[in-house]
Amino acid sequence: MYSENLLENMELVEKTRESREKQQLPILNEKKKEKLLSSFHPDYRLSGFRALRVGVNRGDRTVHEIADLLEAFSSFDYREINFEKPDLETDVLVLGGGGAGITAALFAHSAGAKVILATKLRLGNSNTIMALGGMQASVSENDSPIRHFADTMVAGKFQGRRELVKAMVDDGPSIVKWLLDLGVNFDRDEKGNLLTKKAGGSIAPRILSIGDYTGLNIIKILKDEIRNRPEIEILEFAPAVELTTNEFGECNGAILFDLERKRFVLVKAKSVILATGGSGRLHIQGFQTSNNFGATGDAIVLAYRAGAKLEGLDSFQYHPTGIVYPDHMVGVLVTEAIRSLGAHLVNSKGERFINELETRDVVAAAMIKECEEGKGIKTPSGRVGVWLDTPVIEERYGKGFLKKKFPALFRMFMRVKINIEKQPLLVYPTLHYQNGGILIDEKGETTVKNLFVAGEAAGGIHGKNRLMGNSLLDIFVFGRRAGLAAARRKYNEPGKQTLSHLERYYQELKSLRITTVAKTPRIFQEYIVGD
Amino acid sequence: MSKKLVSIYIEGRKIKVPEGYTVIEALWDTGHDIKRGVGCLSGLCGACAIAYLEKGSKRVRFGLGCQTIVKEGMNITVMPFFPSRTANYIISEMGKPIEKLREIYPELDTCKNCGFCTIACPEWINVSKVMKLLKEGKYEEATEMMLDCILCGLCASRCPYGIAPQFISLFVQRAISHEKPFPENLKKRLKEIEEMKYDEEWGRILQMSDEELVEFCKRIREEA
Repeated sequence: MYSENLLENMELVEKTRESREKQQLPILNEKKKEKLLSSFHPDYRLSGFRALRVGVNRGDRTVHEIADLLEAFSSFDYREINFEKPDLETDVLVLGGGGAGITAALFAHSAGAKVILATKLRLGNSNTIMALGGMQASVSENDSPIRHFADTMVAGKFQGRRELVKAMVDDGPSIVKWLLDLGVNFDRDEKGNLLTKKAGGSIAPRILSIGDYTGLNIIKILKDEIRNRPEIEILEFAPAVELTTNEFGECNGAILFDLERKRFVLVKAKSVILATGGSGRLHIQGFQTSNNFGATGDAIVLAYRAGAKLEGLDSFQYHPTGIVYPDHMVGVLVTEAIRSLGAHLVNSKGERFINELETRDVVAAAMIKECEEGKGIKTPSGRVGVWLDTPVIEERYGKGFLKKKFPALFRMFMRVKINIEKQPLLVYPTLHYQNGGILIDEKGETTVKNLFVAGEAAGGIHGKNRLMGNSLLDIFVFGRRAGLAAARRKYNEPGKQTLSHLERYYQELKSLRITTVAKTPRIFQEYIVGD
Repeated sequence: MSKKLVSIYIEGRKIKVPEGYTVIEALWDTGHDIKRGVGCLSGLCGACAIAYLEKGSKRVRFGLGCQTIVKEGMNITVMPFFPSRTANYIISEMGKPIEKLREIYPELDTCKNCGFCTIACPEWINVSKVMKLLKEGKYEEATEMMLDCILCGLCASRCPYGIAPQFISLFVQRAISHEKPFPENLKKRLKEIEEMKYDEEWGRILQMSDEELVEFCKRIREEA
């Protein structure tokens, strides 16, 4: 239910709906796009960034929220741990229980390795669940892996690494086969072919989906599959807080923190796969986020202290349509498909201000511009947003269309007595995806030997902007590659577990006279509720 | 933000929290160190199932803690987990898994369609109807209805016979998808890749200079 002042402004949205439908907004030329981005996109806001002072990427630009975590001592005291006596030993240790982690664990197990999977929350609780829209894979007749490659490179402004992009698009079709074999029910057409939909920035229809619940349904099946492989040991509510290395600086395990027993668990492993996801919950530049509660960038902290190189951590994706009203839904995503179908973005004067089919970064920048120039709509709690006029779609495609096509969205708002068939939604860009991360090679291995990364934590694939649907593909492709490569390390001699990399890192901090102690890795963001 | 407080009961304890909070926010506000009952905060992961009684109401209701706003006099308990039986099977190693449904989940036929599960579902799924369809062998229709299931387990918590509809239907979803004919378009693409149709082009792409690559990608996209 909307508040009084919002209902008042909404009248204007209703009044202008008809005239807006007749309007054609041009796609901006490159020059105008660049100007809009450099003036209003958060990635271009100089005050939000600084150069790192420590570690392998010294001098590289990143956001303060990540630099703060990297330029600090951990608040954990590891002196009580006996490194001679690990609590658990395994071949492969997978950190993270989302799509990438479960996939890595399944493949490492199928290759004959002993596997332990540790995760911060409940198994499966991850951003994968919230990947509603779908997964890219070039399976349709008028598509090819090469076309998928070209789209991905262009979207990433040629900052993605071509060998990684090739690996991703090339594995796409076989990943789809793997998922089908597991019993994933991708939507089909009348002939039984996989149904492919078009997405922004893609030249061929390439999005595979399961209704508007793609990620959720894949995760349910992956969880069911790993549950049926009892040899894989699963530790829930046990986030990793540090990696361990041997005398050669190779990764050989991790320290977990059992959240309920409140004590450390030392795991010795021949290889480690980091699959703990992105960093939306760091609320970079103060933005609301669409991310899961656990997405606090832990992988970056752990890997960086162990000496792994990072790449592209100056680029984040802000999804244009994050909810700003009601308060408890702030940051929750409204799928891009709503805009693809023709919903308008409308300012407080009842005007459209950008072609809604521009890429995510451009639309987000245009929305921020409207709000900063005073043409946003203010909520009772002081947030600002613009209208996403959903009733336009209902009028265009007929009554009942939204409810039928977007049952999840419809229900989500009916719970708070907002009927998206009749009333628009109030939205503002929401922090959605970490475009960069820990640099990997085609095997998924980092610059630290025996340390692998898969999923959003990995860097080097998506460049400066990720194409819709590529994240769901990348987690399975690199989850599999990392899982298989890590399993082959099972004859490794892991050596003695130490924290000497951390000592070196701390020395560097000290020599720069940095004395900050922070909760790093963050594990959970502390939400001060109340005002 | 409004400073008005409401009195609620959390797991039996009476406590005041600001108006407008969700159950999860109220738990945070009152110092609960919750890890079990929190996940996506978007109503999709099913970790924050709750049971609650509204003031003056005669019936306990069910919902998700991240999506339910506290109200004066509300009496709430968090249910992050409910014990449910899960069967063991490896779908990819079963010939026709759906034929094994009754062997794997014999309790399906003990369902009397009392409808308690439906009342509990926070996703508004008619779970009881799903169970009826499963018993009748209308697997496609049942699976379609369960796409929204978030595995919160609330349906199982209400079942007088101790059945877990969420897991039975998940097995069926996997079983019938596994048996579907392999899609032709994917088969073709896999064959192309197997026959190394694109390998030569990949070889060239990996050798290109940065400028050549930009030109190449532009051309590919224009051709389409």
